[in-house]
Amino acid sequence: MQAAVFMIVSIPSGAQQLTATEIIRKADEKFNGELSGYSVMSMTIIRPTWERTVEFKSWSLEDDYALTLITAPAREKGQTFLKRGNEMWSWNPAISRLIKLPPSMMSQGWMGSDYTNDDILRESSVVNDYTHSVEGEEEIDGRLCHEIKLLAKDDADVLWGHQVWWVDKKEFIVLKAELYDEDGYLVRTERGTGLKTMDGRFIPSVIELVPAEEEGHKTILKIMEVKFNIELEESFFSQQNMKTIR
Amino acid sequence: MKDYQLAWRNLWRNRRRTLITAASVFFAVFFALVMRSFQLGTYEKMYRDVIESYTGYLQLQHTDYIDESSLDNGFIIDPELISMIEGDPNVTAVIPKLESFALAAAGSRTQGVMVIGMDPENEMKGLNIINRLVRYRLTPEAVEALKAESLPDRTGKLLDVFVNESFTDEASLISILGIGRPDTSDVLPLFRKHAAFKNGYLTSADSGYAVIGNGLSEYLHAGVGDTIVLMGQGYHGATAAGLYIIKGIVLMPQPEIDNRFVYLTLDDARYLYAAPGMATSAIISVRDTKEGDINMTRNRLGQITGDGLAIRTWKEMNALLLNQMEADNKSGAIMIGILYLVIAFGVFGTVLMMMAERRREFGMLVSIGMQKGKLAKVISMEMFLVGFLGVAAGVAGSLPIVFLGYARPLRFTGEMAKMYEDYGFDPVMPMLLPDTYYLWQVVIVLLILLIAITFSVRKIFKMNVINAVRA
Repeated sequence: MQAAVFMIVSIPSGAQQLTATEIIRKADEKFNGELSGYSVMSMTIIRPTWERTVEFKSWSLEDDYALTLITAPAREKGQTFLKRGNEMWSWNPAISRLIKLPPSMMSQGWMGSDYTNDDILRESSVVNDYTHSVEGEEEIDGRLCHEIKLLAKDDADVLWGHQVWWVDKKEFIVLKAELYDEDGYLVRTERGTGLKTMDGRFIPSVIELVPAEEEGHKTILKIMEVKFNIELEESFFSQQNMKTIR
Repeated sequence: MKDYQLAWRNLWRNRRRTLITAASVFFAVFFALVMRSFQLGTYEKMYRDVIESYTGYLQLQHTDYIDESSLDNGFIIDPELISMIEGDPNVTAVIPKLESFALAAAGSRTQGVMVIGMDPENEMKGLNIINRLVRYRLTPEAVEALKAESLPDRTGKLLDVFVNESFTDEASLISILGIGRPDTSDVLPLFRKHAAFKNGYLTSADSGYAVIGNGLSEYLHAGVGDTIVLMGQGYHGATAAGLYIIKGIVLMPQPEIDNRFVYLTLDDARYLYAAPGMATSAIISVRDTKEGDINMTRNRLGQITGDGLAIRTWKEMNALLLNQMEADNKSGAIMIGILYLVIAFGVFGTVLMMMAERRREFGMLVSIGMQKGKLAKVISMEMFLVGFLGVAAGVAGSLPIVFLGYARPLRFTGEMAKMYEDYGFDPVMPMLLPDTYYLWQVVIVLLILLIAITFSVRKIFKMNVINAVRA
């Protein structure tokens, strides 16, 4: 009898019962893949006087390893970037040079975009480096979302003071995110649009980054192809592979 | 007897006082002139060095470039516009250049550098960077070999101090190593034999080669024949990366430039930075470089450049340097001002004493019928004469030094020279020929005299004749 009551009470009754942290984890895993992932993307950098598009392939394993290969335009083709834990390297075939990115370069845009090197290194720490709280709910693009505040933990080594995420209640897609620095100033807004099913998951295929302080600056990421949880070994993410991958 | 005759005779009645007063004015004027000549000469030289080796007198730029000198503020070179500018009567050459930042690396050493892309044949019409090629280097082996030869003592000792130093010409060898004039014909051939440096320069046809600054070469441990990597960001965010073989090494006068100087052909730079057909600026070489000519040339050229482009003068481009020099100039002027203040008090002191001493004389002159006005006039003339005596002597004394300093500038030698070069100055004492600053000294002395005269004249008119006669 007591067991039955206990079971009734503890039957999960839908998303509303998930904690903020669990919501964030689900959103993160859905987009990034729980174990590994492969994607082909194009990134368009928009500035007041010019526009540039870079295309690349990317492989990732858990939160710790990632390898990116630039495939277009011709000038940039062949450059690769490797992430292992907290370190990042870049390889440029034109000069046959392997460079470890120093901490001083972390705040610079990757390939000149609004997406910084630091973002690439730390993107998967949203679950562990922040405390999460549900602030409410709001409709974004006609979809009902949880509004969740992510507050950076004191000992966490993150650039952002806090973030606000709008996570779709049904599909756990991040439709909007606002990133704030330590002093509470809005630095960047990210929007996920172009929702469609790719490799069996319903995710945004277009992500727009808009820096708050710069007029007319924007970076648009388009996902052309994605595969989740593919066969990848840790040995794939090596400096040798950086130089030979196609 | 004329007033001035009287004044002149009065002066020599008390020879000592006259000479002392004139001497104090002479020293002030002489010292001020020599110092100012040197100071102003130094500024002139600094400007000229920067202009001739780097910026040129005029440049054609994108309108926004002066405020933000980034590659994205470059412009496409229009050959027709270049021809029109070259057609200007005062223009001798137009040298387009593409300039941007990059990281240079050799082995495991890296350095932030300024990459300058110019067509070498074009560049030689205006900048003559080829003159800065290193011609002699005192490598340890060279020093060993030289010491084995018979050298003057001083030079021998200085060789150890300056091991690993590079020299662009024989003049700097002579001055820094303290080679005396009689010894040059014996000593220089020895240097040519043991310390000559193998060097090269870019040609328009070259691709994949670079000429770098001596300081940069030393820091990167990369010499002629070694390869350096240049990395950076190109036009509109493209990645800039390339390998270049060092073909030559130049020694630029300013260390800040020398440590970061990388010279590529214009085509190589354009390819590196993904900026086809572009330039960040075009140096305009002119014949007449006086300020008036420069401004007139700028106005003429400004008419034909149209929207989006502007002609900048060297003053606009070197605003920071100008500010620094002006601050230094003013502080020098203040020092001279203080000097003159001291001299002024000396003159006032003398005048005071003179008035007191001659009170009886003045009283007597007025009492026998000399008008006070005439007396005042004679006294004033006396003072002017003393003043001019001092000024004339000061000017006359300074002229030989200034002219000599201009024709054969004093060159520092040894460690003094090295210290100068470390700060980016040529180790010479350049002098400026007589200019408006000479007139200023006369004006200042006149002012001092005027104050002294006013005081004396007042005293004369206020004089109570009876009391004066009884003094």
